Amino acid sequence: MKRLTRILGIALTAALLSVGVASAASLGLTTGKLGAGSVVVSGCTSSSLTATRNVDNNGNVAQVNVTGVPQACAGQTVAITLENSSHTSLGAASAIVGTCTGGCTVPVTGFGTVSAANVTAYSLSLTQ
Amino acid sequence: MRRFRLTRLRLVSSLLVGSLAFAGVGYAASLGLGSKQLHAWRQTLTKGTCNQTSTTADDTYVQQALPTSTAGGTATTLTISPVALAQDYAFIRFNLSGCSLPTTAGADSAVLTVRVTTAGADTISLFPVTSSWSSSTLNWNGVSSLTIGSTASGTFSASTTGNKTVTVTADVDAAIKAGTLWGWELRATSGTAIVAIGAAENGTAANRPSMTLNYEK
Repeated sequence: MKRLTRILGIALTAALLSVGVASAASLGLTTGKLGAGSVVVSGCTSSSLTATRNVDNNGNVAQVNVTGVPQACAGQTVAITLENSSHTSLGAASAIVGTCTGGCTVPVTGFGTVSAANVTAYSLSLTQ
Repeated sequence: MRRFRLTRLRLVSSLLVGSLAFAGVGYAASLGLGSKQLHAWRQTLTKGTCNQTSTTADDTYVQQALPTSTAGGTATTLTISPVALAQDYAFIRFNLSGCSLPTTAGADSAVLTVRVTTAGADTISLFPVTSSWSSSTLNWNGVSSLTIGSTASGTFSASTTGNKTVTVTADVDAAIKAGTLWGWELRATSGTAIVAIGAAENGTAANRPSMTLNYEK
């Protein structure tokens, strides 16, 4: 019985350690990912980047341009989600930052048919 | 040294420990792989309306028969003629500076309204102008130096009098980003009649051109 208690104790300790490591990893990585609504330091930029959009004559979003992307971000992926006032996604698309001199402008297309009038926010991210 | 005996209990315990550890490592690994996001931000947009009336409009018409005349700048109606050697083109623009829109802003929708005061069986097409002009100086000879798009932004039929609307969202959106709206050249692309639309100087307010503009910035 004593041996059984010891074995079960070891098993429980190992299990808790495993979950603990996972939780620590999740906390650390999640915290490093985002600051809601503002800029977070990243590997290639800590600057605030501006997104503008073009529309077709029907008022649908044809393209979103992210300007001022540093050259150091070349090869990373810019992902954009168009949101309405309820923070619901109306469309999403992404593009890879190309090579350029100085600040890059990254055009992102492929949002589908999204009326610009319904878009109240852009949610953007740069990922490797 | 004691000999290790694999009992059923030890086997079950080992499997339990191994499974939990594997699951934990897997969970951590999945988080790590899914968290390569380096930079994220959110940009909120402000919506607004900045409708345009005759007070911000500038318009004229130029006459092929009088190539140096600038009389169209003060006319109360703008003549549009497809007649050979006597063509007339109208020009309309709005000064959007009162809207205080940065070049990062954009049009959500824009609709131009003109009123046909003299009807004729013509199709009137609007071509975007992207270089500067003024109604006080523009004449027929000066048109060739303007930058005018070759594709019509929109058309309307002038076969009846009354208000005609043309959606010009893409043009206005592009103009906001360029910094200035230089408007449109209006000319007949079919038909043979001489028609007229009300100018900003027209004595009847309802005859004057206007534009609704909904924007984001």
